Amino acid sequence: MARLLLLLWSLGPMLWQLVSSLRTSDALSGLASGGWTLEHYRQLLQGDPPFLTYLLNSAVVGVCSTALTLALAVPCAYALTRIGRRQARSLTLLVAAAAAFPAVLLFLALLELARDWHLANQLLALSLPYAGLCLPLAILLLQAAFADIPIELEEAALIEGMGLWQRLRWVLLPLLAPAMASSALLVFLFSWNEYPIALTWLSRTELLTLAPAMARIAGSSVYTIPYGAFAAATVLGSAPLIALMLLFQRQIISGLTQGAIKG
Amino acid sequence: MSSSTPAGFMGLELCALSRQVGSHTLVDQLSLQVAPGEILALLGPSGCGKSSTLRLIAGLDRASSGEIRLGGRVITALAPAERQVAMVFQSYALFPHLSVERNLSLGMELRGLAKAEIQHQLEQVLALMQLEGLRQRKPAELSGGQRQRVALARALIRRPALFLLDEPMSNLDAQLRDNLRAELRTLLRSTGVPVVYVTHDQHEAMGLADRIAVLREGRLQQLGTAETLYRDPTNRFVARFLGSPSINLIERGEEQLGLRPELLELAEAGSPVPQGWEALEGELSHREWLGDRVISHVHCPGQASLKVLSREAPADGALQLRWRQAHALRFEARSGKRLPGSGAAHPS
Repeated sequence: MARLLLLLWSLGPMLWQLVSSLRTSDALSGLASGGWTLEHYRQLLQGDPPFLTYLLNSAVVGVCSTALTLALAVPCAYALTRIGRRQARSLTLLVAAAAAFPAVLLFLALLELARDWHLANQLLALSLPYAGLCLPLAILLLQAAFADIPIELEEAALIEGMGLWQRLRWVLLPLLAPAMASSALLVFLFSWNEYPIALTWLSRTELLTLAPAMARIAGSSVYTIPYGAFAAATVLGSAPLIALMLLFQRQIISGLTQGAIKG
Repeated sequence: MSSSTPAGFMGLELCALSRQVGSHTLVDQLSLQVAPGEILALLGPSGCGKSSTLRLIAGLDRASSGEIRLGGRVITALAPAERQVAMVFQSYALFPHLSVERNLSLGMELRGLAKAEIQHQLEQVLALMQLEGLRQRKPAELSGGQRQRVALARALIRRPALFLLDEPMSNLDAQLRDNLRAELRTLLRSTGVPVVYVTHDQHEAMGLADRIAVLREGRLQQLGTAETLYRDPTNRFVARFLGSPSINLIERGEEQLGLRPELLELAEAGSPVPQGWEALEGELSHREWLGDRVISHVHCPGQASLKVLSREAPADGALQLRWRQAHALRFEARSGKRLPGSGAAHPS
């Protein structure tokens, strides 16, 4: 019973959006009763640019930010677990401080950067601040995962004659997969949902990512609020995330709880 | 110190090897030799430097001073991979994400051996270690003994010039350990290379090794066969570390007498002491019955509890404890140094 309530509690809003996206505008604003339609979806997908463009933009930025973050976080985390304990502790503290830093304070400076370096309206350039903001958390997650791998495994590989890259590729990274999956998902989620930076860095309509695009839909008319279109956009925007979660849920859960219990 | 070594010694040689970390000395001026085909056990309590020594030989840690030679070649500064050593870790350090087969072949693959050659060697080692049926299993699906066999197989397949083992038996239960000792000894001997075996278990060292090096606080205490260490220890530390039940120490002012439990005899209280014998009067506190023998714990005034190993259980109550004077090892009470001229006439 309690589980059912919890399920309703967490799924309720999503179901509400789904239902709303399928009702006619008249039904939504209470002018008429009943009526189901796919009109909102059709409108979105055939818009100019079509909604799929935004999804694609967000996916490109998300994948790029994730790849960049992991490419930087893995070596950082590895180094932090292999240098002396004392240096590692103070450096880790620094990383944790960076992770806790309120990112809002950076927006103006980031905007300046974007202007000086001509990064505005460059879709892939968004990955730079995204990776930067996600890096501290990713490093901390991966560092914990590295620390859980017994050092003997790497020493055994060392005696076998494996070089640094071979050790990483064949021994460490396979064991790190769960933690990498969960960090990757966190980064992807962040860049998928990120609004203020995307809003200020991008102005050309065909380059917009999901969040600012949806804001434009919501504010496209002064006189009516397009509930139906907005709900449909929400559904389309969250579907890929739900699919990702379902696909990787086992790795993500084992990654997030890693280190909680010593195996 | 290596001047006593014959030129062209083909085994492993440590010459005044030291490792310091900060102000802490882990290994202190350690010199020893292991001949090809010989098994040397490094024995000592935890923190005595035996594992540190092994790591120095493997190249996992850097020596502060001294030299390591293998087959006449100085390997002190070489990377682990270039030393051609194989090491069996206490935790076995099997790659948990790879099958038994891949655990064994990964190193060869990455060293660029031909596929056919890898396959050939793999089959050979799998057959030797009786692992054919387990080749597709992951380490988590193996028992402790099977994991140990895989770890040994991975070391063997390396065709090492030197075999290092770090407490390979400590994760197995006692029964299995007893059964495996002889098997492991035969296997290690058959490689024909020097073997260094680290353990804190005297039974393992005595049962497996040709010679034993006892370490304490990074310093070599004594190096010799199990029998030499047992009968003729250089100091109290070695005397106490070997033998079970451990040696009895009888206080004698500035001196301590070391007497093995099997060299003490029990007699009726107050009986006359023969020529060349010494005796203490005491009282039996309790007995441990071991089946073939009995350990009697005897309390004598002014002494710690003394253990006597005998075939028959003594009666309760007061009794006399005696020993041949010639059997007693004499130690300086403060330093634990062995005093000359003691314990010479040890029975064989």
